[in-house]
Amino acid sequence: MGKNLINLTELTFQSMIESVPNAIVLVNKEGRIAYINNQTEKLFRYDRTELVGQSIEILIPERFRKNHPNFRDMFFASPSVREMGAGRDLFGIRKDGTEFPVEIGLNPLITADGTLVLASIIDITERKKAEERFRLVVESAPNAMVLVNKDGVITLVNAQAERLFGYKKKELIGAQLETLIPDRFRRKHPDHRNSFFASPSARAMGEGRDLYALRKDKTEVQVEIGLNPIETDEGQVVLASIIDITKRKEQESIIINQMSELGIKNKELEQFAYIASHDLQEPLRTISNYIQIIEEDYWEEMNDETKTHLKTIHHSTDRMNALVKALLDFSRLGRNSKLTKVDFSKIVNEVISDLENLIKETDTKIHVEDLPVSYGYETELRLVFQNLISNAIKFRKDNVPAEIRIGYENKEGQLQFFVSDEGIGIESKNLERIFHIFQRLHLDDQYEGYGIGLANCKKIVELHRGKIWVESEVGKGSKFCFTLPNLKL
Amino acid sequence: MLNSIMLIDDNNFDNFYHERIIKKSEITDNVITKRTGIEALEYLKTQENNIPDLIFLDINMPGMNGWEFLENFGKLNEVYRYQIIIVMLTTSNNPDDKNRTKEFDMVAEYITKPLTKEVLSEVVNKFF
Repeated sequence: MGKNLINLTELTFQSMIESVPNAIVLVNKEGRIAYINNQTEKLFRYDRTELVGQSIEILIPERFRKNHPNFRDMFFASPSVREMGAGRDLFGIRKDGTEFPVEIGLNPLITADGTLVLASIIDITERKKAEERFRLVVESAPNAMVLVNKDGVITLVNAQAERLFGYKKKELIGAQLETLIPDRFRRKHPDHRNSFFASPSARAMGEGRDLYALRKDKTEVQVEIGLNPIETDEGQVVLASIIDITKRKEQESIIINQMSELGIKNKELEQFAYIASHDLQEPLRTISNYIQIIEEDYWEEMNDETKTHLKTIHHSTDRMNALVKALLDFSRLGRNSKLTKVDFSKIVNEVISDLENLIKETDTKIHVEDLPVSYGYETELRLVFQNLISNAIKFRKDNVPAEIRIGYENKEGQLQFFVSDEGIGIESKNLERIFHIFQRLHLDDQYEGYGIGLANCKKIVELHRGKIWVESEVGKGSKFCFTLPNLKL
Repeated sequence: MLNSIMLIDDNNFDNFYHERIIKKSEITDNVITKRTGIEALEYLKTQENNIPDLIFLDINMPGMNGWEFLENFGKLNEVYRYQIIIVMLTTSNNPDDKNRTKEFDMVAEYITKPLTKEVLSEVVNKFF
């Protein structure tokens, strides 16, 4: 009866051990294997008969074997349920000599034959691989990353974090996260941390507050922090991804400063244009008026030379007047203009009829292809065509009537217009210069002008966020091209 | 012939020239010149029986500029507004200034300096 009971107990114990998912090894005080379960056979690839009675060290890689009997003795000296290894990485070795990482739980088992130790062994190869993958991902992330557990202890950092904070990895791991936070924010931080763990979700930290981190050298960096809760075997942890935004903030403030400076400069420029239009014109006008008075009252008394000089003065003041006016007009281009639907065929034809006299006088031929309808600043665009067409007429070859072609192409969502002529052409070194204000390539008595027309064109095209350029060959002609975005309102 | 024309302009060179044009055009012999809006208003208030038919008004003047003059002129007895034609005569070809005259319905014309015989006769033919 008593015997049966024992057998039954043994049987129950045996079937229990066989049915657990872990490898179970029973070891006696001498370090001999007393029993293994089926899982152990599978894990270590031995047959039961090969192991029972053998020293347990058979399952341990060579390099750990020497110290193992000591550990074993220590355990038997004060047997208790605990994890083996005290944080060290443990490995098992199979019959074929391959190693694998394991986690081992130890349980003392008092039996009639004395104290045995029941070792429960888990193969953690997969977990180690996953951990390694995670570590690699964190390591290769472009941002500084810090893994923190519920108690605010740093458990993992990457190289970027070392660089950002100026600490070595080993200085950070195990340290309180608050090490990385400036004093003034430190007090409140554990509360923030606790409330995060209370309702963990992936989110940006700080909700619009400016965040700062403290480096080892006590300097601060402005940062942006993303938080990601991660569920692990060690419980809930949070992965903080930290970006140093000091540079960005600096650039932001530079941009803000420059914008306001630009605003001031624009105001100044407008003011300047106004002064140019008024204060500069006033003395000029007085000169013109008084020349007229002299001409009216003293014409008879003047000799021819004096008259010529007077005419030169008159001419110069007129010219200066026109330049000042041109400058004002240039500065005001696009101000108060509204985007409207522009029928380019219509505006080009209007410009041509405005220039009718000039076209007839010079026997100019103009071929206009089909032109599109799009959105833009109509008055200004008319000015562009007026300048380009009258330039093409002005810079025709001696004794050869101008022949002008106007058309467009649809290029990658942009309208690319051209006005081409067969005139004198432009030297390649001047292709850029001609678009600058008051730049002229010719003497007054060759080709009259103020050097403002193409500057106006450039400004107008750029107002539309387009580009203007010229392709030209001396003696062959020029082709002015400009692009406009094909706006659809 | 008009009874009188008033020039309101701080620029004496311009006043000299414009007075000369007016007299040469034989529009009137009586040109009243005031160098500020304040002086002009003072004259209009005190010389009720001798008010000009036509005022040429500058914009940029120290003390009281052309716009301020117009505001004050509008507050005078409305008889003034019926009897006097005001023409802006200014250096400014700034469209902003030109547009601003629309706020003042007593302004008949906007002319940029200098006043020429042709422009003067146009104005006179249009309004007298």
